[in-house]
Amino acid sequence: MARRNLVRNPLRSGLACFGIVIGVVAIASLGILGFTLQAGFTQNMGDVANQVEVVPATDTDAGFGTVTSQTLTDREVRDVRRTAVGATVTPVKQQTVDISYGDTSAGRNAYAVENPEALFEADEGRVPASLSSGVLVGSTFADQLEINVGSAVTVDNSSYRVVGVLAEEPWTAPVNPNFNIVVPETELRDAGYSRVIVEEGSASAANETAQDIRESMNRREEVVEVQENSELIEQVRSQQRLLSLFLIAVGSISLFVAGVSILNVMLMSTVERREEIGVLRAVGVQRTSVLKILLAEATLLGFVGGAVGVVVSLLVGGVINHFMLDDALMVLRPGNLRYLGMALGFAVGISLLSGAYPAWKAANERPVEALRG
Amino acid sequence: MIARLENVVKRYDSGDETLTVLEGVDFGVERGEFVTVMGPSGCGKTTMLNILGLLDEPSEGTVRLDGDDVTGLDDRERTEARKRFVGFVFQYFYLIPSLTAQENVEAPTVFSGGSGGRAGELLEKVGLGDRKEHKPAELSGGQKQRVAIARALVNSPDVILADEPTGNLDKETGDETLQLIRDLCDEGVGVVAVTHDERIKDYSDRDVELDDGVVL
Repeated sequence: MARRNLVRNPLRSGLACFGIVIGVVAIASLGILGFTLQAGFTQNMGDVANQVEVVPATDTDAGFGTVTSQTLTDREVRDVRRTAVGATVTPVKQQTVDISYGDTSAGRNAYAVENPEALFEADEGRVPASLSSGVLVGSTFADQLEINVGSAVTVDNSSYRVVGVLAEEPWTAPVNPNFNIVVPETELRDAGYSRVIVEEGSASAANETAQDIRESMNRREEVVEVQENSELIEQVRSQQRLLSLFLIAVGSISLFVAGVSILNVMLMSTVERREEIGVLRAVGVQRTSVLKILLAEATLLGFVGGAVGVVVSLLVGGVINHFMLDDALMVLRPGNLRYLGMALGFAVGISLLSGAYPAWKAANERPVEALRG
Repeated sequence: MIARLENVVKRYDSGDETLTVLEGVDFGVERGEFVTVMGPSGCGKTTMLNILGLLDEPSEGTVRLDGDDVTGLDDRERTEARKRFVGFVFQYFYLIPSLTAQENVEAPTVFSGGSGGRAGELLEKVGLGDRKEHKPAELSGGQKQRVAIARALVNSPDVILADEPTGNLDKETGDETLQLIRDLCDEGVGVVAVTHDERIKDYSDRDVELDDGVVL
């Protein structure tokens, strides 16, 4: 009966439904957008949040430009290892080298680590457990010089075969090899350790380890500087949560407007059907039954609108995810489904709320008043 | 007496003025009796009918249905009593435009389990067996009023209250409608029709004249 009453005035019901659809799409798509931004951010940050970088303390008297010449001693590296128990500790040697390939040559940073696997990932070729006679080339550098896996490059005076081209690393990575090259440790035998990368299982563990290293190594004087990203990342995350909330708030406003339009539809419809409701009351239909049917109408409007809205949101979300995360199906993650469920619940709730007043009003009108015309 | 008004007074307060519509009306109808209430416009006929049918409450006096005092009932109980005892027929029919004839007749019962086929039987009884699936817009005035009568009968009332039942009908369909009501009466239903249509007298058992809020 509720359905039939709505079908009776298809344009009006349709418009009210449409309002709800827009509201739901607004809430859900903005929610999905926020969630996708977060996911994209996490993806880009990689496991940077779990990493702690230990570098030599800056000599405050030395000023700019002298920092790179400072290195960590073997003893300091051992101290880091002893403090960061259970974490993957990777000391990194760094030196500027001349690299030539074919006719071109360039001065770049060369990194050497004992376990390249821990820090780097290959886009082409592979990253071996330890480098002995090959080198790994950063993605941007490889692009610029058109270096491929298997090419031979000359680092200072030694020739090496390229065993892998590295994947592009986020700018936040402590060792950023995009423009540079990773060489065997033997090549940088004389260079000192420029930094030690400590990788923990989680951001909070990384934070703790950073504290431990500071306390144990800088007790007497500032020997090392410990940099960690967990705090920064936490800040960015909370900013993003705020952004998501803001987006949802904007969506809620449109759903609220949709609720007002349902209120209007229900009000019009009850005014129009005043006599009809009066007759039903006269022939023995209880107040509560009238109330129920009108509420059912409002809820139906909200539910149909909400359901259509959810479908549209899924499509929109799919598009957003396709472009931002390269995978349209990521829209089906539980976080997104939560937004969809929330939007649908909101739609039904708002419809019920805005249907309540007209329904109450119609049900409580005395039939004799309604029938007087 | 299936329905009875005892010394019923009805006053309307409109601002400073108090309008007295009924001034101590005594009236009753038996089962199987057809009573017309005649009188000029504004004499309180419709008010009297509404009070008799529990759509309105008297300011003073007592309303009895089947001997029980129903004056002080709350809305739920009055609705229930209306459903059990009373069927209404209105001048403007008040059919629901989106529903078919059959569904209109069933409308009073949809919240209490349906009419169980009774709606169809009633439509056949009022001569609309072939119009069950028609919408009100596809029916003539006389047919609409017959649907309305079938609807009034669906809860098996003891009394039918008709407000100007022929007011919107031409002579011929009016006569058909009145004959139908007469037949119902002969089956034991009490009928009260308020009207200023003199023709109804030809069908009724008793006529009551209402003037200035008093039964003459």
